[in-house]
Amino acid sequence: MTTPATVTDLPDPVLGTALVPTLGEGESQTGKDFTSDQEVRWCPGCGDYAVLKAVQGFLPGLGLRRENIVFVSGIGCSSRFPYYLDTYGMHSIHGRAPSIATGIATAREDLSVWVVTGDGDALSIGGNHLIHALRRNVNMTILLFNNRIYGLTKGQYSPTSETGKVTKSTPMGSVDHPFNPVSLALGAEASFVARTIDSDRKHLTSVLSAAAAHRGTSLVEIYQNCPIFNDGAFDAIKNPDTKADAIIPLVHGEQIRFGAAQEDGLGHKCLVRDAGGGVRVAEVAGVAAEDILVHDAHHPDPTRAFAISRLTDSGYLHQSPIGIFRQVERPTYDDQARVQLSTAGEPGDLQALIDGPDVWTVEEENR
Amino acid sequence: MTYVIAQPCVDLKDRSCVDECPVDCIYEGKRMLYIQPDECVDCGACEPVCPAEAIFYEDDTPEEWKGYYEANVGFFAEIGSPGGASNTDVSGQDHPMVAALPPQNQD
Repeated sequence: MTTPATVTDLPDPVLGTALVPTLGEGESQTGKDFTSDQEVRWCPGCGDYAVLKAVQGFLPGLGLRRENIVFVSGIGCSSRFPYYLDTYGMHSIHGRAPSIATGIATAREDLSVWVVTGDGDALSIGGNHLIHALRRNVNMTILLFNNRIYGLTKGQYSPTSETGKVTKSTPMGSVDHPFNPVSLALGAEASFVARTIDSDRKHLTSVLSAAAAHRGTSLVEIYQNCPIFNDGAFDAIKNPDTKADAIIPLVHGEQIRFGAAQEDGLGHKCLVRDAGGGVRVAEVAGVAAEDILVHDAHHPDPTRAFAISRLTDSGYLHQSPIGIFRQVERPTYDDQARVQLSTAGEPGDLQALIDGPDVWTVEEENR
Repeated sequence: MTYVIAQPCVDLKDRSCVDECPVDCIYEGKRMLYIQPDECVDCGACEPVCPAEAIFYEDDTPEEWKGYYEANVGFFAEIGSPGGASNTDVSGQDHPMVAALPPQNQD
């Protein structure tokens, strides 16, 4: 088990887990090794079960030592995640998981750092913490479970609930305009932004693999059904009869095609440039082949990815792009901080700074 | 761990559970429904909706029906993990233990 001392010793491109110790020769792990002895407590049918199972099945494939993996969560249903994984973990402060994870990632380059959060935790109380983690590009993966409702508090509208949604706290319908988490992350210039679905284990796992491999902050929005307080929110993209029209699949280097397959085996709909500067859906038969957009997740400019993200319905979900929107290399906060530390010379004397020469006394008459 | 479908489903196949399963892991055999143990995420949505009370958490399966764990697992020995019941037709098959049963749940 040898790991490079610093990221600068590594060849390019650098994996997200490059400095994390791996299993030794002959050692292996299974999903059971990542399953804790805690009884899993979510409502029957909750999408969180599916994500947990997918993560437990995916983690062994990383080949990392369990004791070098840490899951930090905030507050909410999904934030119970760390209890159920046999790794290190922290059920932390509401909305502050990205900040705590920032500290962990900066102090410990030998850890694989994960954040589990939800639409309430990450986008309401934790909005600032989220965007600044994305901006800084700290080396961690953020799993944002989006069920478009406050589930833990029993069904109030969340920052991703559609306008007009009737909930306990919006009896006449919400007048709020929702966030699109992918658009938000792209706006914060996140270096890795993806969206996947709780019940599609294959796709979820492939996105998790890419997110873990990415060095920097990876934001993965997971559409997650809440069967109790917002059941059916993602039915259009899950129903076998409608999903071909509802899911706009994003695969780097491939044409963006969807809908029922035509003779060439690909969908009859596609994305093309829109005269207004964005992108729009068009019938393949009605456009020139060279006008069909080819997905470029590695483009340094996030403009196109943002335009694609706007094709997500902000109301009831009938259509949504799914896949990796953006994946670009950018220096990470924690790597740069470590380089500075290594070149800053001798450590300072913290106590001397605290005691300092610049002291004064507040006299009674000066009050 | 997984959920297991037992004898009360045989020759009945109510299918309420199929609609309820969020990961589409309940497959229809010839005489009963089977849960794919690797695809099941242990969410428990199926158990309360079964009108025949045929579904049990693995550890809670009644002694007399313990063999149905093997029937659910064994059913997929050759089929494997198709990744979704809605696009997989296995309705002509049954686990040998189930196939050998006399008619069940006829009243």
